[in-house]
Amino acid sequence: MKLEPVLEAIPQVRAEGQTVVTWQVHGTESRRLSLGIKDREAGNAHAPLSLAEASSARYLLVWSDGKICRGTLERHQDPRAAFEEARATAYDDPDAAHVLGPDAFADVLLWDDSTAAIAGGDTALIADRLAHVRELIAAAGAKTWSGSFSAGASDSRLVTSNGLDTTSRGTSFGWFVNVDGEAGDGFGARRPESDEDFRARLAQLMETAANLATDTPPIEAGTHRVLLHPRVVESYMLSTLMQNIDGSAVAHQESAFNRDDFGSDAPKLRHDIGLSIDPLQPYKAGSYRFTGYGLPAAPCTFVENGRLVQPILDIKYGRRLGLKPTPVPFGPDAASFGTPDRMAYEDALKQTDVMVLSVLGVHTQDRISGDFSLSAPLALAIRQGHAAGRLRGTISGNAWETLNSPELTFVDVPHEVTPGMLFPCRFDAR
Amino acid sequence: MLEPLERLDDLGSEMARAARDAGVRLIWRNQLRTSKRSVVRQGKIEGNAASTLSGHGVQVVTADGRVALASRDDFEPDEARKLLQRVIATATGAERLGLQAADAAALEPLTGREIPVDPAAFDAVDLPRIGARLQELEKEIAGRVPGPTLSVSFRSELDAWRVFRDDGTDVFFAMPRCVLGMRATGSGDAGRHGVSATLFSPNPDMPFDDGQVELFLRRATQAARLATVLPDAPNHAAGSFPLVIDYALAKGLAHEAFGHASEADGFRSSILAENGKFKVGEQVGPENISIVDEPVDGDHAWQPFSANGVRRERTEIVRGGRLLDGLSDPWSAQAGGVRLTGAGRAETFRSAPQPRMTNIRIESSEPLAAPGAFEDYGPEEVRELLATSGVFKRHPKVVYLSGYTGGQVNTAGGDFVFHCKAIYDLDEKGVSLYKPAIFSGSMFGALQSVREAYGPLLLDAIGYCGKWGQQVPSSGGSHYFLVLEPHESVGLGGRE
Repeated sequence: MKLEPVLEAIPQVRAEGQTVVTWQVHGTESRRLSLGIKDREAGNAHAPLSLAEASSARYLLVWSDGKICRGTLERHQDPRAAFEEARATAYDDPDAAHVLGPDAFADVLLWDDSTAAIAGGDTALIADRLAHVRELIAAAGAKTWSGSFSAGASDSRLVTSNGLDTTSRGTSFGWFVNVDGEAGDGFGARRPESDEDFRARLAQLMETAANLATDTPPIEAGTHRVLLHPRVVESYMLSTLMQNIDGSAVAHQESAFNRDDFGSDAPKLRHDIGLSIDPLQPYKAGSYRFTGYGLPAAPCTFVENGRLVQPILDIKYGRRLGLKPTPVPFGPDAASFGTPDRMAYEDALKQTDVMVLSVLGVHTQDRISGDFSLSAPLALAIRQGHAAGRLRGTISGNAWETLNSPELTFVDVPHEVTPGMLFPCRFDAR
Repeated sequence: MLEPLERLDDLGSEMARAARDAGVRLIWRNQLRTSKRSVVRQGKIEGNAASTLSGHGVQVVTADGRVALASRDDFEPDEARKLLQRVIATATGAERLGLQAADAAALEPLTGREIPVDPAAFDAVDLPRIGARLQELEKEIAGRVPGPTLSVSFRSELDAWRVFRDDGTDVFFAMPRCVLGMRATGSGDAGRHGVSATLFSPNPDMPFDDGQVELFLRRATQAARLATVLPDAPNHAAGSFPLVIDYALAKGLAHEAFGHASEADGFRSSILAENGKFKVGEQVGPENISIVDEPVDGDHAWQPFSANGVRRERTEIVRGGRLLDGLSDPWSAQAGGVRLTGAGRAETFRSAPQPRMTNIRIESSEPLAAPGAFEDYGPEEVRELLATSGVFKRHPKVVYLSGYTGGQVNTAGGDFVFHCKAIYDLDEKGVSLYKPAIFSGSMFGALQSVREAYGPLLLDAIGYCGKWGQQVPSSGGSHYFLVLEPHESVGLGGRE
């Protein structure tokens, strides 16, 4: 959204005898193209070729009586009228009534012209890749497949009453392919990966789908050395850890960790486990130039040697907890999680008897207790380091016990930034 | 409040005419959703927000069947005209993508208007007043159950749609949704555990309605009490057991296990279909069990028309244990071998509608009595219910799964999963509490296992369903309680 009319309106705003004394406005304009494939049908009525245009601005207003309002301004709204109407929602939140000033912002590589062209309607690259997927699916004799391709481009500008005025341009590209409604994989970044990498990831997916095509007798119920695929690590283990180090959760005692756990010398996870982000990396989905409240992107460590260094903090919860705001995780490809040394994938396969490729029910878990009980409909029996047929079952355990276990090993999985996790875990086959 | 949609009469006619002139079929979806939300934590208002989502989506089908959708977040007539031309050009020019030709059922033009509330009541929601009321409710809950950390919230939303088609269809409907919610986080020696409670109403004044507030407080108090004891509760053993599930979990079973697999857009891979056609007549459950989906007045997931401008029909997915009807839209009904039921729903104007559930339930034709309100039944009362009806003679121990926290399904394999808030072992001697665990397995095994049903139908278990990346409200229920026989393909996850 072009911010000039918004910035002109703010000084004019009057409501209930109050004016706006401190403010932040973050405008974004974007366009996006996407194509779905459902059961072999590309662009059918349920997953059509889609074009989207969007323009909006998120705002924070601090009124002269100290009350605040937050909201989103839509393209068609008159800014002054919208702000004056928003006064009716104003409330006291002293920790949130602050905005940042000017700072130095790194030039992070987030924009790719060819991706922007796809977002604008050029579908040549998508057509090429779609053709390759179709070839592989036909060669494998798969019954069906579904998936999607998408590209987006956006421009944003963030301005505050303290003199911060900065911009960012970014593109995004992603795809996902699911074979026979079961095994799936995909990619997301600020631009497409090379054709070679695309083909390699797809070939690996087809191999996984082939391995899943053969059932094997259920293994005995009980504790096994289970290898979680990086997708499962991201969707459950990593996201559970991030939710529990979120400043809001910590401040409201809705986390497994207390304020005093951060900065303490006492490790809360195993002594060699860390979690950090580097949002300055070129073309990563998790990279950015500034956060939604205007903090410059920078490398940041949240867990080091098992110790909780700092929560993930915005301005409000930084003040609430007496700490500085931090850069925020935006995607797992810009995060570094686990131990400095990882076991080679081939070695890990020799030490496991079950590899869990996907789980159902992640969103139903209680993230604070860390107790997990997840359905694992896509799992592979592993014998002598090789896939030996499909298993279905459930895995159960506790995330915090796992992340403190001396028997936990992080595993380097080909094509993945996030590691796999190998550890003793209850697996009940069906 | 709904004026931007009211003003579209002429533009709707013009867009329909332009589509006909261009030789394309058009579905033009316009949406205006206004929401207000307040959250109170530990006595303080932590957030008030009022927001609007508005815009339109232009979906066209070219003469050779190619489909494309374009969207924009305003109602500017010139921009809408341009978007129509752009989406026609995009659909026409996308030859290399090999887009699938759409084959839609013939539709009758339809006009209709269903706006069951006064939109001004949603406009009048006063967030500072709501925040003060939530502070009172939080204090009340904290007084009844000291200890846990509480978060109390309220959200009101009026989701209005106006859908035009090139055949003259013009349907205008607004869906009111208000939810009071509470989350309690309890601490114990073994860590922390959170438990939530919600209550839905179409009435934005619900925080000030004595009856609604009393019911909310009963549910919130029960959840807060559970949060105080769950952190130190033991883990339950894994395995297959005789089970009793409450109506919210039964909704989860109906929704995850059968509802999704009955959505006709998935029949090319669904376990309930063969060669793309629904397996009508196949026995999937006991003869006394049916599964029904339909919009229910005053419900969280109520929607009178589909996002394609078709009236939503009652759908008996399973009648007397046999498959009968699929959830379909104009694009999937014919191909799936089922009648058109108007099940297309979309999260926003930017989304392509998918066949989706609204309010889904499991019904038994022979329910046993369970007098009083559902909230009257704690685990001890459920135990007495089972004892009275002789279940313990068949199974000395029954595992009671209480409360639904969400689920998921793989429709290709028929694997479903859902999670509960707490587990209780019930036997002749008493009740033992355990931490929650996942309930998962084969949909056929689960439905075949249903034996007794207790109490009247209760259909207010609410949630959101995330199919194909689109979140839409869902709801449903069953009789107060269902007893499931143990089945080898259905089990409880556990750590022992």
